[in-house]
Amino acid sequence: MRLMFSFAPFRPTNFAAAALPDDDDEMDLDGDDVAVNSITLPGETITSSHAYMRGHGTYVDEEQVIASVAGTIERVNKLVTVRAISTKYNPEVGDLVVGRITEVQPRRWKVDANSRQDAVLLLSSVNLPGGVQRRKLESDELQMRTFFEEGDLLVAEVQAFFADGAMSLHTRSLKYGKLRNGQLVMVPPMLVRRLKSHFTTLPCGVDLILGLNGYIWVSKHVKQNEQEGEEGFDAETIYSNRNDPIDESTRSAISRVANIIRVLAAHFVPLTDTLLLEAYEWTVENDTDAKSLLVEDVGDALVASVART
Amino acid sequence: MASRIEILNDGGFRSDGRRQYELRDLAIDLSQQASADGAATITHGLTQVMVSVFGPREAKMRSQTMHDRANINVEVSVAAFSTGERRKRNRGDKRILELAATIKSTFEPVIQTSLYPRSQIDIFVQVLEQDGGLLQACINGTTLALANAGIPLIDFVCAVTGGVHLTAPMLDLTLIEENDVPHVSVAVLPKTGKVTLVTMETRLHVERFEEIFRLAGQAGKVIHAEFKRALRDRTTTLVGAMGAGPRISAEEEMEY
Amino acid sequence: MRPPSPSIPEKEFLFSSLKQSLRLDGRLPLEQRTPQLTFGSDLGYVECGLGKTRVLAQVEARMVKPTPERPFEGIVTIHSEISPMASPEYETLGRASEEEVIITRMLDKVLRRSDVLDKESLCIIAGQRVWHLRLTIHCLADAGNMLDCACLAGIVALKHFRRPDVEVTGEEVTVHPASERAPIPLAMNHTPFCFTFAFFPDLETAPVLDPNQLEQRLSAGLMSVALNAQKELCVVQKFGGVPLAMDEILRLIDVAVERAKELNKLVEGRLQEDWKTRGRNVELI
Repeated sequence: MRLMFSFAPFRPTNFAAAALPDDDDEMDLDGDDVAVNSITLPGETITSSHAYMRGHGTYVDEEQVIASVAGTIERVNKLVTVRAISTKYNPEVGDLVVGRITEVQPRRWKVDANSRQDAVLLLSSVNLPGGVQRRKLESDELQMRTFFEEGDLLVAEVQAFFADGAMSLHTRSLKYGKLRNGQLVMVPPMLVRRLKSHFTTLPCGVDLILGLNGYIWVSKHVKQNEQEGEEGFDAETIYSNRNDPIDESTRSAISRVANIIRVLAAHFVPLTDTLLLEAYEWTVENDTDAKSLLVEDVGDALVASVART
Repeated sequence: MASRIEILNDGGFRSDGRRQYELRDLAIDLSQQASADGAATITHGLTQVMVSVFGPREAKMRSQTMHDRANINVEVSVAAFSTGERRKRNRGDKRILELAATIKSTFEPVIQTSLYPRSQIDIFVQVLEQDGGLLQACINGTTLALANAGIPLIDFVCAVTGGVHLTAPMLDLTLIEENDVPHVSVAVLPKTGKVTLVTMETRLHVERFEEIFRLAGQAGKVIHAEFKRALRDRTTTLVGAMGAGPRISAEEEMEY
Repeated sequence: MRPPSPSIPEKEFLFSSLKQSLRLDGRLPLEQRTPQLTFGSDLGYVECGLGKTRVLAQVEARMVKPTPERPFEGIVTIHSEISPMASPEYETLGRASEEEVIITRMLDKVLRRSDVLDKESLCIIAGQRVWHLRLTIHCLADAGNMLDCACLAGIVALKHFRRPDVEVTGEEVTVHPASERAPIPLAMNHTPFCFTFAFFPDLETAPVLDPNQLEQRLSAGLMSVALNAQKELCVVQKFGGVPLAMDEILRLIDVAVERAKELNKLVEGRLQEDWKTRGRNVELI
């Protein structure tokens, strides 16, 4: 079954769904009339609603399951879904996202995370200076802007959903929190797949945070021990708005990685840590600097060499 | 208003060399535009419209959020250079407001807004060139941009303009023809053949209307085939690019 | 301020009665409220009522210089005022609401762009003097279907209006007041009437003609048809809303054709009645 995946012409991005043994099932079912992995368009009939259940990207009219978005048909047992090829980020609990504060509200922040609604970060879901877990006081509420201000970037995890579908985030881990020392690259969320770890360090001294919402943070590498520190980690550093000193080679490495991501995204190539590493090596081998990556020919050459054809 | 231009000559040709039922060239460009979630540029002959769709996203105005569905916001702007005579139309122009309201109410029942409560979908329509069939181009462009943005639609909306010269029905009018001939715009949902939009502003006998109305409905199916071809090409390219994504190494395979 | 939306039981009640072809005010689905036309003492002053919906229309004529582009044509302008007086939905502040835009544009299409008036007949001296007709429409109360009511008021006002007779001798223009010479009716090409149909989310429910306020608010789309008694369509507009089959639209247009004939008869009758009373008054003076 594992092998079957690599032969499939199109790899579904959502591994949570893909991991279900649908490929095995397919053989058991007789009279299967769902053209799995084929492309469909809004208004096209997929199958009868008697035999199948409608999932995302479909609707039922006159006993037919009809696609409502352009994308590929997927099927898990009796559930038929259409995966839209380009869409907003659909959050799931446990996803790692990079977001930007848009609003400070009483006891909560609103965070733009490229989803259909702004995410919510509750004051009770952040780590407070001092490190100890404690109830949030009124004084904390008054100085919310000292933690996060409008425009601040942060990395967080999707904790839960509100009744209206908005996601709630948390940053209660030393890995999460405010982002500094780098730049943000935005790509279609489709291109960031679920990985073992979304924090990667490239050997060129660049840290990458691949947010599942398509926001990617490219920054200077911070040593593990520096980041975590002791129990009473420094409030000044985690909520600091000041960048560390960054030398020129790191700066150019950051730009180069950011441009690699942009080039790959423009060619609609899904991003993984290994792919990015390979692409970085390619640029080093070919002595390509950050700027020339954006030249069309160079970009095409990069994609041709690293992407599977 | 007798015009000096012959709308339909004895040989059955129109002023731009088309036949009665011939549509103009249709060009569709679905490539990504800046930060829009979906975009489309549609060209019907010399009429060109660019549409960008943003969203669904957090509603900017809290007063406009609806607890059970997404709010659709349409803004139309007409470039001053789009007409033969350079003319700046301001945003408060009633015709433009009406055009925006028409686009909004046409798409409200077509977009599955109930999937996105409290969100907002912004549709920005920029008219670049005008040579008749403005409403048709705006509707068609918006359909494609929405589909390109991955917003769930019940079906495409295909709009066509038709007119009647004396007793001869014609399709897809240019500006010259539009000024001279009673014209009808019809938007259909090709799957069911149902009509979501009809407008006509000139005097026309009921029977003539029926003829052109039915004809425009059929022409919608032709436009639909073009839409499908364009969107399928685009989707296939993107899916292909994703499939050709990373080389999957053995150890990576283990994760799944 | 938008009034609060109707409650769910209200909505259910309306929908279930409509499904049985019953309307809350006891009308048949395709029955129009009988228009009430009240004429003022001035010519061209009409108050039109459809149920509780009331619209006032008034026409006045002035002599002006024509526009250089059209020296042989008179000028017709339409001013529509929809104030919060009609309904709190219409606000005075800020941008015109969508409904307001649609009503204003529709009035313009029905009364001006469909060639109701023969503009050349409004010319007195080419390039120098023409009549400028100013039609003012005040929406007084909105109890649903204000569009039809406003169009009817506008067209009846134009039919009711008579302009003073003028005499041209060389470059000299003499205006004869009504006491000297009988004023002249406007030269009109045709008389369009507007009919609005409302559709409901459930396709089983038959569409209704002339929706009242609640029906209009709960409807899932409107279609307005303006046509004259000679079966000539002037404006058809269905801006979105529930998609309909082509045959259904054509069927409703046929309904509108019938209604237009009836309405035309009614309007002509009322105008004649009014004119008779006026004839006596003129003699009395």
